[in-house]
Amino acid sequence: MSEYAKPLPPDDAANRPFRDGAKRGVLMLQRCLDCGRHRFPAARYCAQCRGERSEWVATSGAGVVESFCTFHKAYWPGFEHEVPYDVVQVRLDDGVRLFSNLVGVPREQIRSGLRVRARFDPVTPEVTLVKFIQESK
Amino acid sequence: MPSKELSGRVAVAGVGTTRYGKLPEHDAYDLGVWALKEALADCGLGFEDIDGLIVNRIPDYQRFGEVTGLNPRYTTITPGQGRFSGICIQTAIAVIAAGMAETVALVYGNNGRSAGDHYGGASDAYGSGGAGLWFPYGMTSPGAFHALMMRRHMEQYGTKPEQLGAVAMAFRRHASLNPNAVMRTPFTIEDYLAARFICEPLRLLDYCLINDGGVAMILTTAERARDLRRPPVYIRGFAQASELAGSTFPPDDFWRRPMRLVAADVYAMAGVGPGDVDALMIYDNFTPTVLFSLEGFGFCPVGESGAWVADGKLQLGGALPTNTSGGHLSESYMQGWALNVEAVRQLRGECGARQVAGAELVQYMTAAPVITSMIYGKDRR
Repeated sequence: MSEYAKPLPPDDAANRPFRDGAKRGVLMLQRCLDCGRHRFPAARYCAQCRGERSEWVATSGAGVVESFCTFHKAYWPGFEHEVPYDVVQVRLDDGVRLFSNLVGVPREQIRSGLRVRARFDPVTPEVTLVKFIQESK
Repeated sequence: MPSKELSGRVAVAGVGTTRYGKLPEHDAYDLGVWALKEALADCGLGFEDIDGLIVNRIPDYQRFGEVTGLNPRYTTITPGQGRFSGICIQTAIAVIAAGMAETVALVYGNNGRSAGDHYGGASDAYGSGGAGLWFPYGMTSPGAFHALMMRRHMEQYGTKPEQLGAVAMAFRRHASLNPNAVMRTPFTIEDYLAARFICEPLRLLDYCLINDGGVAMILTTAERARDLRRPPVYIRGFAQASELAGSTFPPDDFWRRPMRLVAADVYAMAGVGPGDVDALMIYDNFTPTVLFSLEGFGFCPVGESGAWVADGKLQLGGALPTNTSGGHLSESYMQGWALNVEAVRQLRGECGARQVAGAELVQYMTAAPVITSMIYGKDRR
């Protein structure tokens, strides 16, 4: 089996709960204990209320596609065999935005407003990526 | 908003540009010095007259002072993002108005082509950092950020690829009249549509160039500028706003909120409206930014920019000639600087085949997480 050739997310300590959660199939987000808003990536202070108290919480992983684009140029060798590929901009129901990939939806059916939910894609023994599938009706 | 009393208080006395293209024998410092010598020759001042220094994209201000022998009374340096050209010019105005310096040299050097800059992939530093989180999904590059915005604009308002093509074609046509432009061969809408996608819905011809070059501007008081070699070009209005919160992701409103703030202030300060400007210089990192800017600054109704540009309004001879140099798409990727220089040259009547007849007011604007705009005037008020 060939080695995984695409870039991997940085393994920074602050975002470790997100990373570990993905391995367990749970979308973990940081939540402000002062105003209750969710955030990702991790930050010491809440950008909304500047509170410093926070916790990591499991979330539903449900959200909506806000936009998408299709890469025809490969910026890394690992993507050369995948172009053209799509990137989606997702807004989770918890308010946090992510860039990711949508699995199992033909390009011509991708549109903003599409309901999606997280799907966990283990790519190496250490790393599970958070991708999305269309939410079943 | 900035004090209306500052309208026309500061003027552009000199401008300088290098050749553009691939200049591997020059680093960013060399390109800056080259441009600065041109700007000083333009206005008849010498290095000894500079008492303020603002450098942009050049890696280090201290080294720049060493290689030029400058000891300014005010110095600063800004990151190599295009939004900073407008910020630097506004800072120079404030520094001059505050009396911290009388004659400010603004110096920009960009050796991105020879240095192999890609604006995507591992070196991607667009926006606020943290881009590495999204690399595993293949998300990278300012081009993709704007592709995401453009897709939404197309979905919401029915904007068409051919309308982006009209922007790119107009600027290329202008570049064909500019001897210093890097890309001078006009193309048709068929050529535009046949160009390969980079990040769909954006094609190659929606993207700015990557080239080497340098630009410098000399700003001073209106009084001093009047005694120099060239006719002064007065900064009649300037304003700034931002959308930094949440800016890792595209703004929901295509930056309309901050653009409206800037528009209100810049027109009020200059005492004019959008209908009074003779030409526009719009920061064109990608064609969609031009559409977003026209909507945000009120040149056309929200959502209608595509249809608005489709009939040649942006071309020389059209209602509102825009990026008469060819802009970033076709002249040179000087991150806003060369567009400000083009505004000055238009108002001095130096633009030859691409001159806008009788130009008296030219507006520059950037749509980005920091929005800036300046209105330049041939007359002080």
